[in-house]
Amino acid sequence: MKRNRWMSASLVLALTVSLLAACSGNGGNGGEVNSGGNGKTETESSSGGKKTEVIKLKMWGGVPVEAGPQAVVDAWNAEHPDIQVEYERFVNDDAGNMKLDTALTTGQGADLFVNYAMPRLKQRIDAGQALDLSEFADYNIDEQMGRDASQWKVDGKYYGMPTTRGISFMWLNKDMLDAAGLPIPPADWTWADLREYAKKLKTDATWGLLRHEAIFMNPFNSVLESVGVTRADGTSNLDHPLLKEGFSTWHDMMFADKSTPTYGEQMTSKMPVDTMFLKGESAMLDAGGFIFRNANNLTDNPRTFKIAFATTPRMSADQQGAKAAGGLGDVLSINAKSANKEAAWQFLKWYADGGMLPMAAGGRIPASKSVNGDEAAALLLKGVEDKYDIDSLKKVVFGQFETFVESLPQQVVDIRKAEYEKYLLQQAELDASLAEMAEKHNEFLKQQP
Amino acid sequence: MQIRSISWRKSAATAIMFALGLLMILPFLWMISTSVKRPDEVFEYPIRWLPDQLLWKHHLKVWSGPKGFALYYANSLKIAIIATVGSTFLAAFAAYGFSRIAFKGRDTLFVLYLSMMMIPPQVLFVPKFIMFEWAGIYNTHWALILPGLVSIFGVFLLRQFFVGIPKEITESAFIDGAGHLRIFGQLMLPLAKPAIATFMIIDFSWHWNDYENALVFLTESDLYTVPLGLQNFILEYNIDYNGMMAAATAGILPMLLVFMAGQRFIIEGISSSSVKG
Amino acid sequence: MSGWRKKERLWGLLFIGPNLLGVTLFFILPALFSFGLLFTDYRFANPDMNFVGLGNLKRLFHDELFYLALKNTALFLASVPVSIGLAFLVALALNKSVYLRSLLRAMFFMPYITSGIAIAFVWMLLFQPSKGPINQLLRAVGIENPPGWFSTTDTSMLAIDIIWIWFMLGYFMIIYLAALQELNSELLEAAKIDGARGWVTVRRIIWPLVSPTTFLLLVTGLIMSIKTFGIIQAITQGGPGNSTTIVSLYVYRTAFSYYEMGYASAISWVLFAIILFITLIQWFGQKKWVHY
Repeated sequence: MKRNRWMSASLVLALTVSLLAACSGNGGNGGEVNSGGNGKTETESSSGGKKTEVIKLKMWGGVPVEAGPQAVVDAWNAEHPDIQVEYERFVNDDAGNMKLDTALTTGQGADLFVNYAMPRLKQRIDAGQALDLSEFADYNIDEQMGRDASQWKVDGKYYGMPTTRGISFMWLNKDMLDAAGLPIPPADWTWADLREYAKKLKTDATWGLLRHEAIFMNPFNSVLESVGVTRADGTSNLDHPLLKEGFSTWHDMMFADKSTPTYGEQMTSKMPVDTMFLKGESAMLDAGGFIFRNANNLTDNPRTFKIAFATTPRMSADQQGAKAAGGLGDVLSINAKSANKEAAWQFLKWYADGGMLPMAAGGRIPASKSVNGDEAAALLLKGVEDKYDIDSLKKVVFGQFETFVESLPQQVVDIRKAEYEKYLLQQAELDASLAEMAEKHNEFLKQQP
Repeated sequence: MQIRSISWRKSAATAIMFALGLLMILPFLWMISTSVKRPDEVFEYPIRWLPDQLLWKHHLKVWSGPKGFALYYANSLKIAIIATVGSTFLAAFAAYGFSRIAFKGRDTLFVLYLSMMMIPPQVLFVPKFIMFEWAGIYNTHWALILPGLVSIFGVFLLRQFFVGIPKEITESAFIDGAGHLRIFGQLMLPLAKPAIATFMIIDFSWHWNDYENALVFLTESDLYTVPLGLQNFILEYNIDYNGMMAAATAGILPMLLVFMAGQRFIIEGISSSSVKG
Repeated sequence: MSGWRKKERLWGLLFIGPNLLGVTLFFILPALFSFGLLFTDYRFANPDMNFVGLGNLKRLFHDELFYLALKNTALFLASVPVSIGLAFLVALALNKSVYLRSLLRAMFFMPYITSGIAIAFVWMLLFQPSKGPINQLLRAVGIENPPGWFSTTDTSMLAIDIIWIWFMLGYFMIIYLAALQELNSELLEAAKIDGARGWVTVRRIIWPLVSPTTFLLLVTGLIMSIKTFGIIQAITQGGPGNSTTIVSLYVYRTAFSYYEMGYASAISWVLFAIILFITLIQWFGQKKWVHY
């Protein structure tokens, strides 16, 4: 029994001592770091001041390390022995972003980070975590990345540099299209055309169309981009007639034509739409560049057919000035509390102007005009050139389109989803769903300051 | 005659419980089978419980590479063991205080304890983060171990069991001149062995599976634990289910060992005769 | 006498002190901090913070989603007593009257020792309405229109309940097992001699004797369940149509997806008040049925 007593006593002691030691040891400077909310406070760092020491940078991104980032930082590190970059991967979901946000506030452990959505970037700007890049005068983002880059400006300034061009587009099984006597659709095709295509391409064994969950809302967002998220009087536009038409067409493709899986079926069976398409179980796949990684891996996904590409169709011929959803993305920011901003900037420029090329094999097309498009295409198609219809690939995947960046607040995205789900599960009428959507959106708008 | 009829009933009960038990572990069977499947077999219907060909490459992948699972395993073990042992002692002491020592304000304090169990952990992350950063334990294992030493649930569980131990036993010892420490160490702890073993199993599984705390408080990948390691299999637009299931299968082993070791004490719980003796 | 009292108090402090220190540091202080946030529009890491008084609470009482989440939470909590009841029966069966006790206990405890989240989505496959094994079984036994489970807003919570019963069963069972070891076997023998058998013994003697444990399980089970969100986030993310959005999941979403920490604090503290209320009812109601 004596032993028990001693063990517990020493444990309690250890707890108390270590806590006290920890508190007194780091209490002072820790507090200062926290108070520097405007991003101008420089933290003291052992690697900062001395010139002879190797600067260590950490970059946070959502791409798994083996899917390109490791090759990128390895290449940089080999060229720059004085600035060594380490890549830290975070999962781009709520929890993963929370992890990044906490790491950013400490000012250590995250010098560069990639933003994937406007609401997250805005939050980080408000929190003083993203550095205003206009303090560096030696790089013209607008010129390098093109006109669409400006959509990532907040209050007229860049707090991050968009690095990729990632529009969504339609993947086509060229062999099935040929068999059905259908040409590759023109760039200005519509959802009505899509419905006809899917109907004609559908067989007993194959779907006409599969849609990837990640881009479900892209055509709808494109409509919102054309008509505005709110009306002139400031009320919700989520019940716009064009959106109604879109939802009802999609619904009819599921239930009347049965040319695409029902929403319930797809969600409850976690349908692996990319592998299904690559197995030849569907003639079309609405997705984006992120499918290339699987499509180019012929060992795991063997296929004999050729893949062609088409733009994402417009909702209707009435949709004015339709832009391609996706646009520029992978917005790389520098932590305003980083001790090595200059070094981070060096890396950022290098990354954007071609350093990121190893990621092209996974479908990430560099946006910078300094990158030779053919070089990126060659990387993307290495060894699988004969498996694609190169002409449509060049036109669509590497084409120049007017694009937009989806920037709906997450609350609105969630409101919309909860309502259209009910319609697509046939638990509510379309009009009721849209009315509910608009009402909740209006309530949200009222709350906003 | 009698013995045979009893054992027949026992066998029937065993068979029924085994069938129900199989239902309980169905998801695990799927997990194991997925860990040796081809990727395109994962979502096949009808569910393929036995793949055509056993693939071990997913398991190999889990354990290879510069930041393989061995590191996460070691980190998780370290945290879970220290936190479990520590919290058991602290909880047992406090439970004794709450059940056997009469002092003013005791029950009020206990209700305060209980109420602290009810705060949704999501809102404590930010205050804890600020505190840990200030204390310099953010992004160290201490950020998981130190809070892990405190289990309100453990205090509650052990208190309920201590309360259930007849008062006469401790009172007679008290009259014999034994102090609280002796009564605690020589009477209560041995008597509460099943409860303590139970708590340790449950507490260990909490620490072993703790995902949220590890996610928020650890950013250095060298410090990662097994649940964080599982995140590596979440790719950008899909999930490597084969790899994740291989890793999850490996993640269950220590828990099973702890359960097997701990539950011996639950079976061997003391009978009333030994209490009186 | 008063000297003895003082000494007892000192002993009480010594025994509880170390734990109390930890509770103060890791629960009470952060809780106070979060209580303060309730009156602000704090967004994570954002230094620009305003005092909004009771604004968050006012907003909450007009928040339709909050009420829906409350209703969903009630439906979710219904699984707890069911799981406790089943666990009691399983614990009885696995206490003495079977062979291979260790193996069987391990099987029933398995769900609890995995994080649940890693394998949560296998339930999605099992519950798949058209091709999943559960509905295939139901069809095989003659049910023509089995539930749509996660594909309808009416049955999704039922599916979550079943998963939660499965998950918590092992936890309830193992604590019941520990309680059963402490039962006075002489009392049981005496009951047997008196002719009480089988079910009567269980109902009249064992069930009342384990009532402190049942009480413990009910209180902790409800608290743990009301706070949980990971498993639902992993399976349905609260859908379809918010039909599985329970309050704690709403808190999580508000804090980490919408960054509205102040509002998340408000929801949390209202949730806290509700749990506290339920627990107090149980605490004072225990005299009626818990026998120490």
